[in-house]
Formats: sequence, structure tokens, C-alpha cells
Amino acid sequence: MSWFLSVFQSSIGKKYIMALSGACLSFFLMAHLAGNTFSFLGKEAYNSYAAHLHSLGGFIHVLEACLALVFLAHILTAILLFIDNLSARPTRYAVSATDRSWSASTMPYTGALILIFLVVHLLNFHFASKMISTADQVKTVLGNPPLGFFYLVALSGLTLHISHGFWSLFQSFGANHPQYNRFLQRGGLSMAVILGALFMLIPLLALTTDGFLQ
Amino acid sequence: MQLDHRIPSGPLTEKWDRFRFETKLVNPANKRKFDIIVVGTGLAGASASATLGELGYNVKTFCIQDSPRRAHSIAAQGGINAAKNYPNDGDSIWRLFYDTVKGGDFRAREANVYRLAQISNQIIDQCVAQGVPFAREYGGLLTNRSFGGAQVSRTFYARGQTGQQLLLGAYSALMRQVKAGKVTLFPRSEMMDLVVIDGQARGIVTRNLITGAIESHTAHAVVLATGGYGNAYYLSTNAMASNVTATWRAYKRGACFANPCFVQIHPTCIPVHGTYQSKLTLMSESLRNDGRVWVPSKKGDQRRPAEIPESERDFYLEKKYPSFGNLVPRDVASRNAKEQCDAGKGVGETGLAVYLDFADAIKRLGEESIRRKYGNLFHMYEKITGQDPIKEPMTIYPAVHYTMGGLWVDYHLMSTVPGLYVLGEANFSDHGANRLGASALMQGLADGYFVLPATIGAHFATATLPKIDTNHVAFTEAKKTVHERIQTLLSINGKRTADDFHRELGHLLWDHCGMARNEAGLKKALHNLPELKKKFWSDLKVTGSGAELNQTLERAGRVADFIEFAEIMILDALAREESCGCHFREESQTEEHEAKRQDDTFSHVSAWQYQGEGQTPLLHKEPLVFDNVKLSQRSYK
Amino acid sequence: MSLINLTLRIWRQSGPEAQGAFHTYESGPISTSMSFLEMLDVLNERLILSGEEAVAFDHDCREGICGMCGSVVNGKPHGPEQKTTLCQLHMRHFKDGDTLVIEPFRSRAFKLVKDLIVDRSAFDAIIAEGGYVSVNTGGTPDANTIPIPNPTAEQALDAAECIGCGACVAACPNASAMLFVGAKVSHLSLLPQGQPERNQRALAMVKKMDKLGFGNCGNEKRCEKACPKGISISNIARLNREFMKAVLFSNEK
Ligand SMILES: Cc1cc2nc3c(=O)[nH]c(=O)nc-3n(C[C@H](O)[C@H](O)[C@H](O)COP(=O)(O)OP(=O)(O)OC[C@H]3O[C@@H](n4cnc5c(N)ncnc54)[C@H](O)[C@@H]3O)c2cc1C
Ligand code: HEM
Ligand code: FES
Repeated sequence: MSWFLSVFQSSIGKKYIMALSGACLSFFLMAHLAGNTFSFLGKEAYNSYAAHLHSLGGFIHVLEACLALVFLAHILTAILLFIDNLSARPTRYAVSATDRSWSASTMPYTGALILIFLVVHLLNFHFASKMISTADQVKTVLGNPPLGFFYLVALSGLTLHISHGFWSLFQSFGANHPQYNRFLQRGGLSMAVILGALFMLIPLLALTTDGFLQ
Repeated sequence: MQLDHRIPSGPLTEKWDRFRFETKLVNPANKRKFDIIVVGTGLAGASASATLGELGYNVKTFCIQDSPRRAHSIAAQGGINAAKNYPNDGDSIWRLFYDTVKGGDFRAREANVYRLAQISNQIIDQCVAQGVPFAREYGGLLTNRSFGGAQVSRTFYARGQTGQQLLLGAYSALMRQVKAGKVTLFPRSEMMDLVVIDGQARGIVTRNLITGAIESHTAHAVVLATGGYGNAYYLSTNAMASNVTATWRAYKRGACFANPCFVQIHPTCIPVHGTYQSKLTLMSESLRNDGRVWVPSKKGDQRRPAEIPESERDFYLEKKYPSFGNLVPRDVASRNAKEQCDAGKGVGETGLAVYLDFADAIKRLGEESIRRKYGNLFHMYEKITGQDPIKEPMTIYPAVHYTMGGLWVDYHLMSTVPGLYVLGEANFSDHGANRLGASALMQGLADGYFVLPATIGAHFATATLPKIDTNHVAFTEAKKTVHERIQTLLSINGKRTADDFHRELGHLLWDHCGMARNEAGLKKALHNLPELKKKFWSDLKVTGSGAELNQTLERAGRVADFIEFAEIMILDALAREESCGCHFREESQTEEHEAKRQDDTFSHVSAWQYQGEGQTPLLHKEPLVFDNVKLSQRSYK
Repeated sequence: MSLINLTLRIWRQSGPEAQGAFHTYESGPISTSMSFLEMLDVLNERLILSGEEAVAFDHDCREGICGMCGSVVNGKPHGPEQKTTLCQLHMRHFKDGDTLVIEPFRSRAFKLVKDLIVDRSAFDAIIAEGGYVSVNTGGTPDANTIPIPNPTAEQALDAAECIGCGACVAACPNASAMLFVGAKVSHLSLLPQGQPERNQRALAMVKKMDKLGFGNCGNEKRCEKACPKGISISNIARLNREFMKAVLFSNEK
């Protein structure tokens, strides 16, 4: 236990927790995206995917619980880091650097946006009354302009978050070598863009195309 | 006073062993009863502090900078010599010894130099064990280069930052002892006085550079490793904080100052480009391997170098020294550059520079290869001057670089004040009248890692050192003097800054006690000095107070000491009526205008003893005896 | 060489507890071949003569190797030029009429001492925890006993080039010291001589670093950009590995 505490209290240990939970969340994100791409195949396909998922029963609850834990770890550690980093420079600079990386410098803020999004998203789908089919639910929620736009904004935030996060987690794990650095850097960025674009396509289609998921 | 060098008897090669065998040792359990003050954290001070701590002594270590790692040694570029003979090119301890004695123009002690050569190999072992990343061959073994005209490759190096890597090694060993509680660090502290009680060095008075507090520290022995005094000339390659204060204060408390006129002037530095200039930057000597030195044949030729045809260029070194050419020793190269500029053939904005041209080497070897060899030096040059040496020849000029003179020490590295030891550039011991490239780092580490830790015990084992504390009258008196001096500096309230006076002093020394000296010039400087001193003490302006961090005050104190110190430098140059090594007296030259030594009259160390304010110091001579080498005149024709 | 005039806004603070503020000075004509510190020297000479205290700033070698100098100029530690310390920054990189805002390095772990001077002794404290190989003087084997591949030695030197100036901390949005610590841990863990204490070193140095109040690395690479020696963040990755290896697989605590 003391071992665990010493890791968790150390700066590098916290970064490992961020990276590890970030990696798990990223896997979840990919799986989640894979599932949601069924929406592009039409209502039938999407609903049957949803039905499949629910038929997993207890197993899905275990997964959900794990996911919640991972989120919790990621978020709590993020908050600890954020507070610690704020106090690491009690007096700010009068002139701050203008050439900071967008994605890296906004990690806590895009993270917070994702958190809000997560709550909304869960309310919209997880805790919503299951009166209508999942496809209809998606269409109603995302076809609603204010909500749809919110999804778009939040998903761009998510894209920004992982566009730094994907590369960053490898660096945190200590994977940095001239032989594959370019691959990690570019691969991470491309993955983030592809992931974000595909996700955003869903609210975009829901907002603009009447026939989507009909 | 009799100067006793305490060199052990016996054959040269056995002296050091014999000394270590015959010397009294301090019982390991007793070592912790002895406190040692080490002033300075350069190679000499850091290595000494670390090793003394390892042996069990209680060490208090002081430096001016905010961290011991920043001492001036950090700036050394070229490398460190050792007689390992790894390249199998005929090197040996004896050869390193001989080269060093000869390079010093036979003005150093044989016994000290031989010991240095013996220890040189252990230094490399020590540094490698600490993790100093020296350059290596592809097979993984250490590589060497030839340096400063040596005929063997014996220089170990770590890119162009050997001093940094060696110092970081010594610093890490020092920090390990700090952690172990054996060394207490006092960074940002300046030694202001030495405290001598019953004829023994028993402590120092320092100024805390942050709070301004004047503090007393007691010890059973005091070690000075405070570096050289090259900054007396204002412009030099030394770091800004390098000063003579510590050694000068010790001199005033009875330590003799030896050979103060031996100052090495390095031929390849970036020239001065304005009155605001604060320091000079060294360009490694290795550049002369491929660069050709020249000036326009015509006086005052204002054309750009490219417009001057080959036939109107004067490659004066190649012409004058056909066999050595551009690779003549430092002092010869420097003096010749000055001669050309004095004759009105200097180049650049100020006319105080000569060209170092790589065009031929580029033609011969290709730009690529030249860049690979000198890329980082060219880069540094371009950063400072804004010019690319590939496109236009470099301009270079000599600059004050190293001081061979320093406090007089015996074989134990003890000064004429019992219990006061002096290491590194601050002492005079091993380089005679001229230091070879890559030998200062070797000497600093030899002194600190190996010599002092072996000799200091003899003092503790034999001297009677009664208990004292900081209330002793000697401390209160010293504190009072320091305090009063600071108050005086602050209260003059004149119209000139310390830097301004420093610049004036620098000009005076450079003009009359620089690369070439003569009686008339030296006398003139000696005559002008009291005037400068008077103006300093009546027209200086220092702002702020003494009870805070005050860099203006710090500078003023150091400049005041440089002005006082300049006197013995000039006196020494006057007294030594021969030319030797870096000391070129125009009156003593051969028909070909080369330096002429006078071994009959001047084969000695000059040690100056303080006689009180306003009194001419007393000159003592320690005769130099050469049983193992034959004295020869240098010739580079 | 030409002359330029600059407006200097410099942070003045008489002591750690005192109230600080920016003061504005006209530089007067400045030669473009001056170094940045020489420009400050010129200003200081003028201030002293007019009875005002000189701007306090740290410096020593003025060759870019001692690591003593360093301030933040217009938001950048050591100013706008890459791989350049403040003392090696020359005025030809500025334009006539520019305004330069000059501030001290700011971080919880570097207390302000005066004006532009900060206390970086935290770095020494970190080194004292293990930034060394524990060998006493004497008794070391011949230097060529252990061959070290040339690329390894070079890589170690790349890391060992760190001058400890603190620009990495100053540049980091989180005031983290990971580049400094990473460089030292890398230097020693790459070399055979550093192996025996490898685990202990990583653990102890990181622990000290955390305790001294530096922030956490956010992988934003600002440190690498600001480093006058161009030390790479691959050294931070190595530190991460070394630390976790020590935590997970060694017996050290
Ligand atoms: C640019 C340059 C390049 C060089 N290159 C080489 C080279 O390649 N090879 C070579 O062998 N040599 C070289 N040298 C020479 C060599 O670097 C020095 O001679 C050597 O480093 C001196 O070491 P030191 O320990 O005696 O003193 P320093 O390193 O000068 O240290 C002096 C210490 O004393 C402290 N100090 C001074 N005064 C006081 C005081 N009053 N109170 C408290 N503390 C004080 C300082 O803070 C500092 O810690 C070079 C020198 C220069 C200038
Ligand atoms: C699906 C959702 C999320 C994914 C895929 C994700 C992914 C990642 C990844 C991969 C990292 C990089 C870890 C590293 O640097 O080693 C990261 C960092 C971070 N995340 Fe998330 N994250 C998500 C949600 C969140 C949420 C909800 C928050 C906030 C409340 C958040 C806050 C942060 C912060 C602040 C960092 C930066 C930590 C640092 O480097 O100091 N993230 N995230
Ligand atoms: S003054 Fe030494 S690095 Fe700038």
C-alpha cells in the first residue's frame, strides 16, 4: 500500500495514471466509435447493434463500472495535477508566450468540457427513458439544433484533447525514440482527427440530413 | 623570512611516494575533529572539498556564484592532459613532465611538475569512474587529441566543454558529501579577509552576498582555490566574478605572492568591438591547425579581405617561422599579432585584429570537412560577430587568458602562512612562466583530488591548534576592517563607476605590462598607479547599501583590490629583467627578436612579501634547481 | 554595426518580500554588436551615475556555459533566439523602437532574490539526492577498463551538457523541473558507471523534485524549446521509464 501511495503521490506516478487511464479511455472511445459507425448503415443496423450490446447483460455492467472507475481516476488525477500546477507558479508572467501548442495548453479545459459533455451525454442516452428505439433516440437528441451543436462543440474539444493526448501518453510511458517518434506524433494526430471527424459526422448528419437513421 | 619549499629528498621519481610514506597521518577517528575551510568551487576547490569530506574532515566550502557548479572552470573548452599513452605514440610520465617544464620556460619546480605528471593518470581514472563522458573511439575506448603544439596526443576531451564536464564531475562528488553532512556549502559568499591567529590561518571573514552580513568562520586550516587574477586587465577570457580579492587579502596577512607578472595571453580570441565590451571570448587554439594568419602588407589597407590579392597579404607567421608557421606557441603568436597591429597593419573596425583565414583549407579539404571539424566554433563566432568564417576570414586578437603567478606554496601546497593552503590557478606552482594548453585542468584536479588531501594531514599531525571561536579579537578586528572598508566605498559618492576605473586600470596594464614590457613603460605604469588609486578612492560612486544584495558594491571592492594588486605585478615585471615564457622584456631579446632567458640571474621564483600600507613589498627569491632536465632556449624557426 | 533605441520594461523588486513592479527605461543608443547583458551594463552605468540602484541580474561566464544568466524577455526565457543563453544573445536580433519586457524566472521553487535574480538552489538540492556516482577519490580502475560504445557516450554527453540555468522551469507552463532531472538521470543511467545506483537515483531525485514544489510535466515541450543547450525531452521519457522501472521492479524504496 505504501508502495502504491508513493507512486500516486509522485509527479511521475500521477502522469502514469493519467496515461494509463487515458489509454483505457481511448480504447473505449475507439470501441464506442466502432459501434456508432453502425449509424451510417441505417436504422436497422444501428438498432441491432444496440440490442446486441444490451444482450450482453451482466458483462456490460461490469465494463461500465470499470469505465466509470477509469474516468474517475483520470478526472481526479487531472484535478490534482491542475491544482498543483497552478500553485507551481504563484506569480504569473506579465508577458506570456504566444506560441504555445493549442491542444497541450488546453488539456484541463477540453477535459472539463468533455466532463460536462459526459454528463449531458449520459442523461441523453444512459439515463433517458427507453420508450423509443436507440436510433430514434439519437435522431431526436442530435437532430435538436442546440443539443446537436453542443455535441459538435464538445466533440471538437474531445478531438483537441486526444490530439495531444495520444502522443502524450506514449511520452509519459517513456516511449520516445528517434526511430518511431515521427510515427507516434503523426499517427497520434491522424488518429485523433479521424476519430473526431467520424464522431462529429453523426450529429452533423442528424442535423442536416432528414433521412439519417430513418 | 626563509622560503622553504619542503621538497622531499631522493630521486625525482620517488619523491612523491617517499613523501606519502614519511608524512605523519591523522588517525581516521580524529579527522572529524578538524574543520577545514575551502574557498572556491572550481576544479581545485570542488575536488578538494569532496575528497576532504570523504576522508572524514568537516569541510565548509564557499563560492561567489549561486551554485558551486558555476565556477569559472566550467568554461574551459579544449581538454585535460594525462600521460596515459593510450595512443601508443611515445608519451610517458617523464615526457609530460619534461614538456611542462620546458613549456614553462624552465621557471617551475621539477619536483612539483613531476608529481603533477605522475598524478595525471589517476585523474582520468577518477573522472571516468564519476561518469564524465569523455570522447571515445568506436571501439568504446577513450580517444585523445594533440593540443597546443604537443607532439603526442595526450589530451582527453568532451567536445568543446571539457571544463564543464570535469567540473560537473567534481561538483557531483561535492554534492554527495553535502548530502552526507561532511561538507557545508556557503554559496553567494565572498571571502573578504583571512584570519591569522598565533601565526596560523584559522578562519575567514565573508560577506553574505544576499543579506550583506559580514560573517566569521573558524577552522583548523584554510584552503584557497579562488582562481586567477586575469581580470586585473579588465578584459580577459575569465568569468566576470574572477578576482584577486581572496589571494590579495591573504597576501596582506602574510602569504607571499609569487611571479605575479606571469600572465598568459591567448592568441585566438574574438577581438574587442566597442568600449562597452565586458569580456573576451576565446576561440579554441585548434583553429590554427587549418587557419592561416595574415594581415594586409600595406599599412592602413581599408579594403575588404576578399579584395586583397594574395600578393598583398602578409602571412607573417609562416614567413617568420617556416617550420612551425601558424602553430607557434601561444606567446609567440600573440606577440606577433600585436607587432603587426602596432605597425598599423591591423584589420577590423578598431585595427586591433588579424585575419585567421580558412579559405585554403576549404579549398584543400572541402567546406564540408572544415565545417565538421570546426562547426561549433564557427557557430559560436557567428553568434557573437554575425559573420560566417566560411565566407570571410575570422578576425582574431590576443587576450589575457591565464595567470601562472599566484600565492607562493611549498611542495605541500602550503603558503608562507602556516595552515593556509592554495590550489589551482590561485597558486603559482606548476606552470613556470607559461602554461601549456590542457594543463590547468590537470593541475587543478591534481591539487584537489590528490595532493592536498595527502599533505594537509601533516599540518594537523604536527601543529598545535588551540580551540578558538569567532569572538577572538582577530575575528572582531578583521570584521571591523571589512565593515569600515565597505562603508568607505559607499560613502565616497563621486562621479565615476567602478567599471570605469577598472577599464582605466585595464588599459594601463595592457599597454605597459601586457604582451611586451620594457623598463620605461613599466616605470610609467608604476608612476600612474597611485594617481589612479587616489582617484578611485575619491571619485567612486556606489549606489545602494551594504546590507543587501549589491552587485555595484561587490564590483567596487574587487576593483579596489585589483588596483592595489597591479603594483606588485608591475614591480615583478620590472624586477625580472629577462624574457621568459609569457614575460617578454624588450630589453632581453635575441637578434631575431625572440625572447632571451637569463638563467644565471633569473632562474628563481620571485615571491613578494607585504610590508605594510605604502611600503614597497619585499622580494624573496627561491632558486630553481634543475637536476633532471637540461635548460635550452626555445626556438621555433 | 548600427545603433538602435529600445524601450525596456524591467521588473524591479528590492527583496523577496518587497512589492515589485515594472520600471520603464529608455535604452539610449545601443550598438547591435552588443550582447544583451552588455546592454544591461550600459543601462546600469547610467543608473548608478544618476544615483539609482543598478538592475540586479545574475551572470558570470558570459559564454553560455555557466548557466548563471537568464531572464524572461518578452515571454521567452533567454529571449527569442533558440539555443542561446541571454549572455550570448546579441542586440542585432532586435529592431529599433522595440519594447522589451524583462522579467525574472518565475516558479514556486525559485524564490525571487532581487530584481531579475532568483534562487535556484533547489537544483543543487536535487543533485545532492543522487546526481552522482558514489565513488570516493582513489582506487578507481583504469579509465579504459570498461569500454563504452561511442554513441552511448555521446548520448550521455548530450544529456550532461545541461548548464542548470533553469530556463526549462521558467518556460514550462507548470514550472516543472523534469528536463533538468531527466537530463541528469539520463546522463548517469546511460553509462555503465551509473548502473549500481540507477534505481535509487531516479527515486530519490524525483522525490526531492516533487517536494521542492516544482510542477508536473504536461508534455508540452516548452522546456526543450527554451533550453539553450537543446536538451531533448527524450530525456524526460527516459526519466519516466527509469522511475517506473525502479518503482515496479526494484527493491529500492
Ligand atoms: C575560456 C577558457 C578556456 C580554458 N580552457 C582550458 C583548457 O582547455 N584546458 C585547461 O587545462 N585549462 C583551460 N583553461 C584554464 C582553466 O580553466 C583554469 O585555469 C582553471 O579552471 C582554474 O580552476 P580553479 O579551480 O583554480 O579556479 P576557478 O575555476 O576560477 O574557481 C574559482 C572559485 O573561487 C571562488 N572565489 C573566487 N574568489 C572568491 C572570493 N573572494 N570569495 C569566495 N569565493 C571566491 C569562485 O566563486 C570559484 O568558485 C581555460 C580558461 C579559460 C578562461
Ligand atoms: C473519452 C474521454 C477522454 C479521453 C479519451 C482522454 C484521453 C486522455 C489522454 C490520452 C491523455 C494523455 C495522458 C498523458 O499525458 O499521459 C489525457 C490527459 C488529460 N486529460 Fe483526458 N481524456 C478523456 C476525458 C477527460 C476528462 C473528462 C477530463 C477532465 C475532467 C480530462 C482531463 C485531462 C487532463 C487535465 C489531461 C492532462 C494531464 C496532464 O498532462 O497534466 N480528460 N486525456
Ligand atoms: S553568463 Fe554564463 S551562461 Fe550566461
